[in-house]
Amino acid sequence: MAQERETVADKIAAVREVYADAPEVGRVGLEKMMAELQAAAVDHAQQRAASAGRTGLRQGKVSELTSIVTFAPGGAKRLRVLLKLLGGNFQGADKVGTLHDMRFVFLDNDTRLLFATTYDGDWDTYIDDFSTKIPDALDVLFSNMVGYPPKGMRDPAIKDWIAGNQITADAWYVASPNLTVPEVRRLEKVGAVVDEFLDKIG
Amino acid sequence: MATQHDVEQKIQQFRELFADAPEIGKKALENALHELRSQTSELPPPVESAGRVGARLGKVSELTIIVPLAPGGAKRLRAFLRLLRGNLSQGANKVGTLHTMRFVFFDNDTRLLFATAYDGDWDTYIDDFVAKIPDYLDIIDSSWDGWPGIRSPGAKDYLVKHQITAEGWYVAYPDLTVAEIQRLQRIGKAVDEFLDKIG
Repeated sequence: MAQERETVADKIAAVREVYADAPEVGRVGLEKMMAELQAAAVDHAQQRAASAGRTGLRQGKVSELTSIVTFAPGGAKRLRVLLKLLGGNFQGADKVGTLHDMRFVFLDNDTRLLFATTYDGDWDTYIDDFSTKIPDALDVLFSNMVGYPPKGMRDPAIKDWIAGNQITADAWYVASPNLTVPEVRRLEKVGAVVDEFLDKIG
Repeated sequence: MATQHDVEQKIQQFRELFADAPEIGKKALENALHELRSQTSELPPPVESAGRVGARLGKVSELTIIVPLAPGGAKRLRAFLRLLRGNLSQGANKVGTLHTMRFVFFDNDTRLLFATAYDGDWDTYIDDFVAKIPDYLDIIDSSWDGWPGIRSPGAKDYLVKHQITAEGWYVAYPDLTVAEIQRLQRIGKAVDEFLDKIG
């Protein structure tokens, strides 16, 4: 990639150039941060955000999925009432086992939906997990969207539909990039055992 | 705890709601209802408010902000993010209460989605950002149309105005803050080392 060969100095120069006509608060902030930014840009230890596979970014073991989809007629109303009835109960999501978090946000006067998740590993594997473990729950949610394939999660076109609505992030941060969901759950158990042990001998 | 009557009433509501849904939705609902029946006895904690705006599940909250970009703003912000190779850990680690953060350009670079998962209350979280990485914020947010500057008294109102509370919010481990996960990682490492030594 040509971008790879671009030096940090080139990138700094490019940032300075585009910030020349930024509002003052941005220009001042940039100059104050310049030393730190240069250090961050050359820090080899710093992991670059990588691709999650077909689409999306990954940091360490943790990836982002961000999609903005248009509602089908009546879809926003159905989904809103459904989410309210569920009262934030997504027990189905626990079954997937690789999902860190998930949000549903209604945009632009209920004409579009933002669906964003944080998950473990590779895009294809993640979508496969979803479609084998909770296909019906997903069909209930996403049949409210425009262009949802007729056979839903079992449709051969489902991956193209999902990828077609996804927008890859330009930046992605994860506090614990080396922890998958199963690893966090394991640590939770280890922590509980250690606490119990310390209580007993304490 | 939900009674059988509550469950049946809820199921009835679901069916009415999906009466005019596409066939795939109706069919899937019937399949999913079987599971719902068996699950209602062990409901997780309900989603609450994160404070001034946003949803919270357990200890973890969501912030979803959508802003119009200022003229030239997308170009500036992209150049800045590219400089850091899409990795904002240097600044973000300093906040200490941030689980995840993403920047997504959409609608032909006229709008930006800024979405995070963080610990606890909205006001405290914003105060943390302001106290710990104000300049980072100004570099980023000066690409947002109408951004008053993080040290301006209008900053919080600007953020509230552009934040949209999620209608659905799921967290796999809602009882763990960033600090607690880091503590567990240290414990896990110590236990592994201990087991290696005695093993």
